[in-house]
Amino acid sequence: MRLRDEVRRFFSLLTDEIFYTFQYLLRRRGILPGEIVHQLYSMGYRSFPIICLITFLIGVTISLTSVAQLRLFGADIYLADLIGIAMITELVPLMIGIMLAGKIGASITAEIATMKVMDEIDALTTMGIVPERFLMVPRIIAITLVVPLLVALADFVGIFGGVLVARLAVGMPPSAFLREVFTVLTLHDFAVGLVKSLVFGWTVVVAAGYKGFFIERGAEGVGKATTESVVLSIALIIGIDCVFAFVLY
Amino acid sequence: MEIIRVSDLVVGYGSIVVLRGLNFAIDKGRITVIIGESGSGKSTLLKTLIGLMPPLEGDVFIAGERVDFGSERDLMKLYRRIGVLYQNSALLNSLSLYANVALPIRIHHPDWPKKREDALVRTMLERVGLFGEDKYPFELSGGMRKRAALARAMILEPDLILCDEPSSGLDPITSAGLDNLLLELKTNHGVTFVAVTHELRSIARIADRVLVIRGETIYYDGEYADLAVSADPYIRTFFLREGDL
Repeated sequence: MRLRDEVRRFFSLLTDEIFYTFQYLLRRRGILPGEIVHQLYSMGYRSFPIICLITFLIGVTISLTSVAQLRLFGADIYLADLIGIAMITELVPLMIGIMLAGKIGASITAEIATMKVMDEIDALTTMGIVPERFLMVPRIIAITLVVPLLVALADFVGIFGGVLVARLAVGMPPSAFLREVFTVLTLHDFAVGLVKSLVFGWTVVVAAGYKGFFIERGAEGVGKATTESVVLSIALIIGIDCVFAFVLY
Repeated sequence: MEIIRVSDLVVGYGSIVVLRGLNFAIDKGRITVIIGESGSGKSTLLKTLIGLMPPLEGDVFIAGERVDFGSERDLMKLYRRIGVLYQNSALLNSLSLYANVALPIRIHHPDWPKKREDALVRTMLERVGLFGEDKYPFELSGGMRKRAALARAMILEPDLILCDEPSSGLDPITSAGLDNLLLELKTNHGVTFVAVTHELRSIARIADRVLVIRGETIYYDGEYADLAVSADPYIRTFFLREGDL
């Protein structure tokens, strides 16, 4: 299929999903009761441990790399500024996006693609159920609710990684580190991190749904679609992040 | 009384015509079987009848109303009037047996009291001879999955149930049990079926009427009882395995 057709199909699904989500919020019909809670559990609760671990390790690694350079200029104190800004506005959203693509996006694609292969999507259609609403709206709403929690947790854990390195490598007390972080960070920075993460979350869900719904028939197509979904999500996340950078800085 | 009427129907994919010049009607309370060789276009015709593939030309009327395949409203009306039994059952694996059967109610009638839903689901499960409503589809045998899918297809009491290879993948005993179930539903509850199948034994048990597809069109349309006396060499070879083509 030509790239132009793929892009048109992707944006067609995206606009459908926006419409179905608002329609559901107004009418509360078309999806299974309890499905949003189920998705919250599988997207949020199950993602917390891995997101905590990754953002903590990123916080530690960036801190160790940065402190070595800052020390050359006697600017150790700026470690807190650097970690604060980098984690909150850039690394946490990016890592959350990438982790969601690998964990949740892959799972959404595999589930929808398998349903397609097993005629479950056709069955939904012939029951008068719109699959793009029935399957995607609970996931879009769940990701919207889960991402702010993940961001808050990841911000905390990432900065904690920096605090740890600052204490052990530079001897900076945690209170001084945190004071510096909150001096340099503004509410705007937290909002930027949150908005970026939300956009990345929605991107992952829509890209995953797109690859699932438009799978080429056959079992081998499921694996292919899942891989492509992760690649597409990550590519889109990085592209959108670049657009954010142009707009914000 | 007619449930479906097909008029000058042409079906296919894009510019490829699979079947042309189709004209037939499906009567209420009967089992009509559509058969044909592999690749003859049976499934394409079924997909058109269930609204998954718009026809290239011609019209489909459900209970006298023309279906506009470009209109979402008309398609929804069509979906309300039909139930579909898929070849591999197509139950949702993430839902229990009960939830699968109750799914159309929960989506189309979320305001129904739980008691009403419960009663209907249990009636349908009983009608198809199923128990263990908390089980998941992957815990059920092939025959049980088909029965569950049939219960789901019937839950909102559609005018017509279309079955894609209902006996496919089932052992002869289970297959015969499913055939008996279709007959029982037709006889005792007046359910109308259209089945696409290859299984000659199954056709012999259930078919009232047979449509044979050959050469891009309907080659034979008649009562099953008349097949045995047909002099047509193709029909005799197909059904009675007599002679060569």
